[in-house]
Parts: sequence; C-alpha cells; structure tokens
Amino acid sequence: MAPSEDDTESGGPAPRIREALHSEDYPSDRQPILPTLVRWLTVLGERGGDAILHSGAYLAVIATVYVSIVMVLLDLPPNPAPLIGGFVTFAVYANDRLVDLDADARTNPERTAFVRRHSRTLFTVAAVAYGLAVMLAVLGGPITLAITLLPGLIWILYATDWLPDRWFQNGRLKEVVVVNSVVVAGAWAGAAILLPLGFTGGSLTVSTAFVLAYFLLRSFVNSEVPNVRDIEADRAIGVTTIPVAIGVAGTRRLLYGLDLLTAAVVVAGGLGGYLPVLPSAALLVGLGYSLVVTSLLGRVERMDRVAIAAECEYIVVGLALAPVVYGF
Amino acid sequence: MATLDLLTGVLLGTIAVGVATAILAWRERREPGGLPLVALMIGQIWWSAFLVFDLNTTALATKVFWANVRWVGVVIIPVAWLLFALEYAGRDEYISVRSVAGLSVIPAITVFLALTGDFHDLLYVETTLVSEGGRLVLDRTGGPWYWVIAAYTYLLGLLGVLPLLQLVRSEARPFRGQSLALLVGAIVPWATNILHLVGALPVEGVDPTPVGFAVSGVALLGAIRRYRLLEVSPAPTGTARQRVFERMQAGAIVLDRHDNVVDINDSMVERLGVDRAAALGQPVAELIPAVEDLSLREGSVGHVRITGADGERTYDVAVTPITDGHGRSLGNAVTFHDVEALLHQQQRLEVLNRVLRHNIRTETNLIAGYAELIDEGEEEGIDELIKERAERIEAMGEQAREIAELFDREGQADEPVPLARIVTEAVASIRERYPDVTVDCGPIPDDVAVTAVLRPVVANVLENAAEHNTSEQPRVGVDVEPGADVVTLRVEDNGPGISRYERAVLERGTETPLEHGSGLGLWLIKWGVGFAGGRLSLEENDPSGTVVTIEVPIAGRRDAGESE
Repeated sequence: MAPSEDDTESGGPAPRIREALHSEDYPSDRQPILPTLVRWLTVLGERGGDAILHSGAYLAVIATVYVSIVMVLLDLPPNPAPLIGGFVTFAVYANDRLVDLDADARTNPERTAFVRRHSRTLFTVAAVAYGLAVMLAVLGGPITLAITLLPGLIWILYATDWLPDRWFQNGRLKEVVVVNSVVVAGAWAGAAILLPLGFTGGSLTVSTAFVLAYFLLRSFVNSEVPNVRDIEADRAIGVTTIPVAIGVAGTRRLLYGLDLLTAAVVVAGGLGGYLPVLPSAALLVGLGYSLVVTSLLGRVERMDRVAIAAECEYIVVGLALAPVVYGF
Repeated sequence: MATLDLLTGVLLGTIAVGVATAILAWRERREPGGLPLVALMIGQIWWSAFLVFDLNTTALATKVFWANVRWVGVVIIPVAWLLFALEYAGRDEYISVRSVAGLSVIPAITVFLALTGDFHDLLYVETTLVSEGGRLVLDRTGGPWYWVIAAYTYLLGLLGVLPLLQLVRSEARPFRGQSLALLVGAIVPWATNILHLVGALPVEGVDPTPVGFAVSGVALLGAIRRYRLLEVSPAPTGTARQRVFERMQAGAIVLDRHDNVVDINDSMVERLGVDRAAALGQPVAELIPAVEDLSLREGSVGHVRITGADGERTYDVAVTPITDGHGRSLGNAVTFHDVEALLHQQQRLEVLNRVLRHNIRTETNLIAGYAELIDEGEEEGIDELIKERAERIEAMGEQAREIAELFDREGQADEPVPLARIVTEAVASIRERYPDVTVDCGPIPDDVAVTAVLRPVVANVLENAAEHNTSEQPRVGVDVEPGADVVTLRVEDNGPGISRYERAVLERGTETPLEHGSGLGLWLIKWGVGFAGGRLSLEENDPSGTVVTIEVPIAGRRDAGESE
C-alpha cells in the first residue's frame, strides 16, 4: 500500500528514512552507499511488512492461494476466481478491522494503531478492492456475482441492524462460540469452491464433497488458533471459546485430532480417486506443517505469530503444489 | 466465462467504480444525499452487470431475459438522482415516504411490464436478434410505455439538475465546486444517452449509458474525496433561509414590482389577523392601507401606525429592494418591527427624567431658600421645613425605585396575588401613617387574585388620597366590585382633588417643559395600571376630592376556603 498523506503527517516512513540517511555514524557528505541503501530498504521493508500484516493484505494473498488450491484439486481451468477471493477477503477483513477497532485495542494494539492512523485510506482501498471483486465476478455470470455480493449484503444488514440480535449476541457474530468458527470455515470453504465452479460451469460431485470436507476442517483449525491467543481477553469479557472451555492443552489435543482426521480425508480421497494423487500429497505437506504449528500452542510467547503461521498453511500447500502445477 | 472485448471491459470498469463509490457513499449515508447516491450507484451497477450478461450471451431468449431484468437498475437511477439532488440541495421538504412511493410508481410499472413482456406489447412491440459490428445484439422497437418511461426518466433527470444549478450559483464557494463535480457526474450519462438515441455514438445496438455513469462515478468519487462532497453540505442553507423568514419575530412581506404581496411570514399574518391565502396576491395598499408606495422608498421608511389583530400599533418599517443579476427591480422585501413597547418605554423614561429633575430642582430650591432664611436670622420652624423637603426628596427616590421595578416587570408573567391582601396591606399602612385620616374599606372578595404589579399602584392611590387630603375631616373610601373577568377598585377621597390640567397631562402620557404634573405617584399609578392590562379613570368627587377607578383583569380565582 502506498504511503498516504497521513503517513507523513504522523511521522511515517519519510522521517524514519531521513533519520537512517542522516544518522551520526554516517554524516551526510560521507555516507557509504551500500549501508545507507540497506538501512533505507530495511525501513521501507519494515513499513511494507507492517502494512501487509496490519491491513490484512496477507490474508488476501492466502485467500488467493486458497481458491487456487481448490481449482487444482477440482482440476478446473484458469479463471479470475482466486483474484475475487483475494479482493473480497481484503475488503471484508479491512472493514472488520475498522469496525472492531475498540475491541482489538486490547489484544492487538500495534494493529489497532496502524488501522486507526490509516482508517480513511484503508476504507477506500477496501472499497476499491470490493469493486474490483464485483467487476471480475460479473465475468463469471450471475452465480459468481451473487456469491461475491453476499459479504456486501451481510455487511449492509449488519451495519443497519436488520439482523436479529439473538443471532449475534448484541449484533456480534464474532462472539458466538464455535458457531463462529463453523460459520467462518463454512463461508470460506463454500465460497472458495462455488466461485471457480461458477466460472467454469462445473457441477457438485463427490470430489467437491472431499474438497469441502478438507477445507472445512482446515478452516476450523485455523480459526481456533487465534482463540488460544485471545484466551485471556475472551475470558475477561465472558466469551466461552473452545480454549476457554477446555484449556490450551485440551485445544492442542483437539486440533491434533482434527489434523489427523483431515489427513484421513485426504488419503481416502486420493485412494478413492476423488482427489488427484500428487496434489493430495501437497495437502499432506501442509498438514505436517499444521501439526508443527499446533504443537507450539501455549508453548511460545508470541502467540500472535503462531496464529499468523497457522493462517499461512495454505501458502505452504501452494508452494508444495507449484511443482505439481507447473511441472518439476 | 464472458469474453472480454473493449465494450465489456469498459462496462466492467464502470462496475468497479460504481461499487467503490457506493461503498464510500454508504459510509456517508447519514449525510444529506448519501443514501440516494448509494441507490444511484446500485442502479448503475445493476444496469451495467446485466448488460454484460446480455452482451455475452447469443441465445435470443436469454438475451431478452437479461435485458428485461436490466430495467430494475435502469429505473432506479432517475428516482435516486432526483432524491439525491433534493436532499443535497436542502429541498428535503419534498421527500417523504409518500413522495418516494409516488415517484416509484412508473418505475415499478415499467419493471412489471418488462418482466411480463411475453404477454403484451406495451414496453416493446418487436424484438429481434441482429448482428452489429460482429456482435449479436437485440434490436427492440419500443411500445407506448417505452416512451412514457423515457420521458419520465428525462423529466426526473432535469428536475434533479435544477436545484444543483442553483447551488452552482451559490455564494458559498465550496458548494459551487461540489456542484460542478456533481453536474459533470449528472450531465455525462444523460448526454451519453441522448447521443445514443440520436445515433451519434459508434456503439451500434448497445446503449452505452452505463458507460457514461463510469465517468459519473469517477466525478462523484472525486467530489466525495476532494470537495468533501457529503461532509460539507449546503443542505441546511435553503431551508434555513426560509425558516428564518417564516419564524422571525418581526413581520415580513415580499412584494412584486407592482406592490402585490407574493409572500408573507407567520408573524405578519398573526399581527394583521388575516388569512395567509387571502393575503397573497393582494395589493399591499389594500392589505395594509397605512403603507403606500413602498417601492419608491429604499431603506428605513420610519414609523407607521398599523391597525391589526392587537389594535393600532407602531411599526418601524424597512424596505429592501430585490433586483436580478442585471440590477432590474424584481420587487421589495418589507420588514415590520413592532416598536410600540419601545416607544412607550422611551416615553415613560422621558417623563420620569423630566419629573424627577423638575421636582428635585423644586425641592432643592426650597431647601436653599430656607437656608437663606436661617442666614437672615429667621430660625423658628425652618429646620422642620427643611427636614420635610428632604423627606419628600427621599420619597421621590423611593417612588423612582418602584417605577424602575415596574419597568423591569413589564411583559413578564408573575404569580397572581390575592387582591384582598394588596388592599388590606395598603389600608393598614395608611391607617398607621395617617392616623387622622378615616379609611372606610368595603368588603373585599377573598377569591380574586390580580397581577402583583397592582401592589405599588394601590399603595400609591391610597397614599395620594390620604397625603394630600387637607379636609378638616379627611376621609378615604375603598370599594371593590368583582366582575366575571375584571375587578373594579374604587378609591374616593374628600381632599382638594386632582386638577383638570394635571389629569390632561396624565391622559396625554407625555410632559413638556411647560406642561407637567406635580409628582411621580400619579405616573406610577397610570403606568402600573397599563402594565396590568387595566384601565384608569380619574374623576372629580362631589363635593370635593377625587374618585380613582381602576379596572384590571382577574388573574386567577381560588376557593374561598383556601388559606393563603
């Protein structure tokens, strides 16, 4: 994301780059080029990394890979569905972060500060991203358009309080235990499968069911990992998540079990001829990565990084799939 | 999947811009024009999306279906545009559930006719598939209703542009910038549509109007961010000016060049006691005969006595000429400030000032004269005389204070006081201070309450009757006669009486250097009765003395058994 006017006003990259260039170690008239360049690139990289992380742009990349994996597993021809997935994900999460500013201030102060400082820019970029998603969805026909418009429709219903409170406990879907994880997992998996199918005019088959089962299980695991990070905050506000209910060790064991169950689904699909064999092997690589991430739950201090690592499982699968798709 | 040619690509761009604009406008939905702008963009997105679906299909039936569903977006646009313009320009008085429903009738009928097109020829009489520029497109011949919705769309588009044009001429510069951006957003799609209808565009067989809305979307989006479109809103200005005119305390009328009344505010209607509808269109000389030939006089025209619902009152009339951009006269705005109370106040202050100065000068001259007598050796009784004069000055100060309090109370509602208490206290005070004076007090009804202003009035009436009574057997009689709405207090004495001359000065209400009354007490009585909304009469008593009759409205009644 390009630095906005806000960046310079609030001491963004410009002062930091100036500081790097004019540090006392290297007076401006005698600065060696290479260390200065390294320093400059480091500052830029830090800022870029912050922007990608805090704005949720990395989630858009993950969503793009996610839909691409679906297309490989279902052997669908190339189409813009992964891009739609990326744009919609960015728009939804950016908006979510803007709406949840106050709640996130407790659990994620750095992200909250970033989102607050760039709220206007972030909202505009999210609006443009959603516009691009709808634009691409029109190419796929009415079904992909409807799937793409669904988050926007829910957003409007949510914003205008048209959805009954009893569904959402004070209007916050996020605060409904387990249902939250299942709904999020279902929405991700359902949309990721239907979008490319809409483009190609494909139908629902047994293979589709295997793919859906795989992604439902993965998404459920990935949505529970951040709950381990948020356990104290959730307990404080009286929200009973799985980690709050059964403890961190119990959650770890549950997620191990779900990882193994996913492996069983993949193996069954592969052996049964419902999933292509080589891509299925790439999925198992991802599951191995997930087991490592799950083992870290409650055992490292930076749980926020573990949560991000869990979300990156699809990147690992994507990297493992790349040689399969493009040839060894 | 759709094939991507230039037209489809442009339409897709239109959709992306429309969605982003709709989302940004949604964020401003509580600002004037925010929600209609969202609706406008939804209409445009719908139209564009279904046009893409249509363009990327070759089967006639499917194409016809997409084209028919497209009407939903097409008909949203003019309604949303008009609502946006009205709301944004502060003309929201025209926007109500009923008016929006009314505006939506023709669009709703159009959608119904489009979706049921297989059963009638009202919207289209003929639909065929033709090849235009290598593309299969629908060639449709409009039926009677097609021209109805077309005319309706342009009418609403035009009606929406008008209030925004007025904003462009607004004195507030940011609004002009905003409106220009809005006009670009408005004119481009309408112009695109007209050019398409006359066949001036190279896109054969396809209505490129939604492409015009791509430009419109960019203009609106740019307006939102650059001019803070919906965050600096001129919406209140039009309404505010009208409200100020309608609700201002002063009366106001607007006259055309022939001095006919073309507008009149609530205050003026109330003051004149006329029917608003009847007043409009009347020559001003007929409505207000006292005001004549105002168009000839610019600026303040001074005081005019006008008879209205509250009787004859004095107004300060000001005339402001209204001209067009070339300085040609369009008429006049005339304001009427009621200065009746102000004039009375001014008059009273003049009297107070003159009487005080005159009486104090008289008393000090006397004191100086007595001092000279002492200087000449005449000392007997002089000290008492000086003391008496000094006490009179002190009493004058006390009366001036009471008058000042009266002035402060003018126009203010006060707690009613039982008349019995006022009279009893005043009588007791006179009996104590003037033991030689016989005070006969008739029965006083104890359920009648009057304004508290009457307390110093009654005290001064009795004081005058007793103090100046030089009769051998001084006597003061007090009678109270309650009526239905008013109560009459009658005070008579057998003193020397108030001279005809002094009564005349009082009745006229002003004093001149040559003509003036003797004291403040009588003025206090006159003004106090006036503040109480009552009437005062002074008559000669037979054989001597004065009869003072005060008639005031009853401010309240209480049960006779109720304790004070």
